[in-house]
Amino acid sequence: MRRPRVVGSFLFLSPAVVLYFGFVFFPVAMTFYNSVHTLKADFGFETQFVGLANFAEILGEDVIFRRAVVNTLVWGVAAALLEIPLGLALALCLYFRVPLHRAFRALWFTPVLMSYPVVGIIWLWYFNYDWGAINSVLRLVGLGSLVQSWLSNPVTALPSLILVTTWMWAGFNMVVLLAALHAIPQEYIDGARVDGASVRQVVLNVLVPLARPTIVNLMILSFIGKMKQFALVWVMTRGGPLWATETVATYVVKRAFHWRTFDLGYPSAIAVIWFVIVLGLSLLLTRALQRRELIQY
Amino acid sequence: MSPGRRIVSGVILIVLLGYTVWAVWPYVWTAMMSLRTTEEILRDYYGLPIPAHWDKFTEAWTRFGFGNYLRNSILVTLGSIVIVTSVGSMAAYAFGRPRYVFRGRELLFGLIFISIMFPPQIMLLALFQLLAKYGLINTRLGLILAYAGAELPFTIYLLRAFFAQIPAEIEDAARVDGCGEWVVFSRIMIPIAWPALTTTIILNFILFWNEFAYAVVLITEQKARTLPLAVMFLQGETFVDVGMLATGMMISTIPVIVLYMFLSEWFVKGMTMGAVKG
Repeated sequence: MRRPRVVGSFLFLSPAVVLYFGFVFFPVAMTFYNSVHTLKADFGFETQFVGLANFAEILGEDVIFRRAVVNTLVWGVAAALLEIPLGLALALCLYFRVPLHRAFRALWFTPVLMSYPVVGIIWLWYFNYDWGAINSVLRLVGLGSLVQSWLSNPVTALPSLILVTTWMWAGFNMVVLLAALHAIPQEYIDGARVDGASVRQVVLNVLVPLARPTIVNLMILSFIGKMKQFALVWVMTRGGPLWATETVATYVVKRAFHWRTFDLGYPSAIAVIWFVIVLGLSLLLTRALQRRELIQY
Repeated sequence: MSPGRRIVSGVILIVLLGYTVWAVWPYVWTAMMSLRTTEEILRDYYGLPIPAHWDKFTEAWTRFGFGNYLRNSILVTLGSIVIVTSVGSMAAYAFGRPRYVFRGRELLFGLIFISIMFPPQIMLLALFQLLAKYGLINTRLGLILAYAGAELPFTIYLLRAFFAQIPAEIEDAARVDGCGEWVVFSRIMIPIAWPALTTTIILNFILFWNEFAYAVVLITEQKARTLPLAVMFLQGETFVDVGMLATGMMISTIPVIVLYMFLSEWFVKGMTMGAVKG
């Protein structure tokens, strides 16, 4: 009776173990190894041990890294504070069954279906100085003085990209929040209504407090998701102008493949630092939540 | 309804219609441009596609290589889905059933689970190095293995929860009838788990189809590009052919839109399940 079980676990687990250790665990370990070396990509990855020199340089004097960290954190916090309240407002409208609510839900979800390059290019057009939709609308409503080249101004570049991710993810958060609102027992709402509560009071005192776990959960997920932001920046600004939109993820790739040093060691050290920070934040924030179950339908 | 409330609901509806335009206008605009020549677009960016140049899709397909890019995207996406779903469901089954408990199983699962939170950069450069060493850079196989590895932890995590809740009686009854380990899994468990499998397949489909960060590092040759890469490089050319770019963007988006029209609830379910991903 014991043998088939052993054979069974081996049979079922070995493909996953091979794939996991070959393409996840081993690359991670290799990155740690590389982070204390210099690797010349153009000389067949010739390695040279440098100890903690990469880490000292990144944490001590790399101003671009510091800028990238700040940009990424700003993006994460702003996204959490924009996407989720917007998604909640939309979800509440649909919860009270405005006309067309089914169509609205299906349509608002669609922006997350597009790939980042497609989204990025559309928004490059939106932000175009001469004929982009943003400037055209501003000129149309008589705010011509606000017209500018949004992505080449260091002050407006990052907010512009944050606007794009907000456009993309608000509908997604709306769908999750709507599911959370529908999971609230109808008696609570009916009870409050019988006691004479207005729609506004029901929203603020019943629906929002009861949906709070989901709201907090989504904020954390949105924040952590932005810690990995790469594609949109790569397509739209490449981190420019003047590092104004550089994220840690784009800086790693830039240092590895678009820097004249052709060194894989230094960017690996950045990746290790970021790995520790992101993993630490993820564990800390999910622990603070104390619940990690699936969203229930 | 009082006149005052009617006005309020009217205003809300107008705002929501405005938001809908904001959300879907990019699709509509790109779709219109994909049927117009660059010359027509430069004359009027927001014009209607009259007459519609359907032949631009043929041109993108042949002259701009989108037939090849589409094939790359389809093969990479399907290959990764087949691997991650089969390998992942087998592992999830062994992790989820009490029958297969062994010393260190929970530790192994914990290690895989925590990998869900890894930022991709921690693997990306080493993967480049590894694939280069084994001649898998610029190959569909290399990309498939990298994708399957990257999504394996989350796929196992989702499916394990499902396998764990299947009652033991079903399994026991089959064993009494003399079914072996593999038969119980493939003939009994997989059909029961099919709804969960569909959800992970859809989630992984959208992730692989739109994937960019791995592809931009692991693919450096034009012929191996997937659609997201092809779109980016078309934008990067010195003279940007706006009309052709829009056609390429539509080619890369249409498959997803068509599937979403038929399976929208599955998409919503699969992708929001992905929301627990840290």
